[in-house]
Amino acid sequence: MTKFYWVLGAVAVIGVAAVGYSVGSNSFGAAATEPVVVEGMDDPTQLMSLAQGITKGDANAPITIVEFADYSCPGCGAFALQVKPQLDLQFVQTGKAKFVYYDFPLVSIHPHSFLAARAARCANSMGKFWEYQDQLFRNQPSWSVKPAVEGDLLGFAAAVGLDQGDFEACLKSDQFADVVSANLRLAEELGINGTPTIMMSRGNGMARRLTNFDFASIESVANDMLAEIEAEKTAGPTGN
Amino acid sequence: MSEHSAPPVNRMVIAVLSLAGFFVAFYMLAHSLGWTGPLICGVGDCATVQSSKYAKIGPVPVSGLGMLAYLVMMGASLLGIQPGRRDSALVGRVLVGLATVSLLFSGYLTYLEAYVIHAWCQWCVTSAVLVTLIFLAAIPEWKLLGGGKA
Repeated sequence: MTKFYWVLGAVAVIGVAAVGYSVGSNSFGAAATEPVVVEGMDDPTQLMSLAQGITKGDANAPITIVEFADYSCPGCGAFALQVKPQLDLQFVQTGKAKFVYYDFPLVSIHPHSFLAARAARCANSMGKFWEYQDQLFRNQPSWSVKPAVEGDLLGFAAAVGLDQGDFEACLKSDQFADVVSANLRLAEELGINGTPTIMMSRGNGMARRLTNFDFASIESVANDMLAEIEAEKTAGPTGN
Repeated sequence: MSEHSAPPVNRMVIAVLSLAGFFVAFYMLAHSLGWTGPLICGVGDCATVQSSKYAKIGPVPVSGLGMLAYLVMMGASLLGIQPGRRDSALVGRVLVGLATVSLLFSGYLTYLEAYVIHAWCQWCVTSAVLVTLIFLAAIPEWKLLGGGKA
């Protein structure tokens, strides 16, 4: 009987030690989880090239819809799941607009949003950005409140069919920390202070920041822009 | 078995196996609750299995159910080796019942891994092996089911 309790005790000690070690060391190695300083970021001209949006749709589309968003922000989740699909269907797929996504991780209130933004960039480098982003937003209520999210981020990669080894290596590194940090700085320089922030522009014109980002509001602005473009075409070149 | 007989070896085996299973299930539960980083998965593809819709029943992680089952089996088997409980039919029923249900459920999960998810999680396989061993260790309990002490 004594021998039995020794064996039971040994299993208990090993189990507690193994699980305790696993829970205690839940940091993700050398993964960059916070913004980094990027050389040249203080120079507005260089910042414009360091910051990189991810574009969906025809690069020559007459209208550009820009979003600055945070993967842990509920409003961004609602926008991604309710408004973006309609925009996609009505404007992006029809070639009337292109959609450009910029990261704006609000790291002071959302501790996982920087890593999530990097994870999405890793997925982008493997050709699955929009699918991965969809996973992040769909599952946001679950993963964003957890104390550690690395397992979930890897799970989303598996769900969209990414190579686990390559994705994990990317996530564990500091890859794309510079781009995400530059995007964050760009948002700050533009005076953006909330997420999601939606801006629209036509051609190379000035971007217009929308105060409402429900579908009807964006549709209305987009249709106005398209009408202006059409009217200018009809009127022909002016000036000279 | 009499009050002075030696404690049943099969129940001692079940206690040890259940404790090991408890830690395996707890590790997977801790992962699903976000308490740990990625699962250590030297063999197989734990991320695919753990992120599948089969990893939960409604809001409850399957690992949580497993942890509970292991805990009850360990408690019952430890109770069943105490003097006065060594020929308890109630302990036998609990062990046989839980071991059978666990084996069937574990078999179903293994089927899902093989034919639906098409990925293996080494911890799920470990748990399936432990459950099978517990079921085998519970076989001697069958003779207590018809009678014995409560």
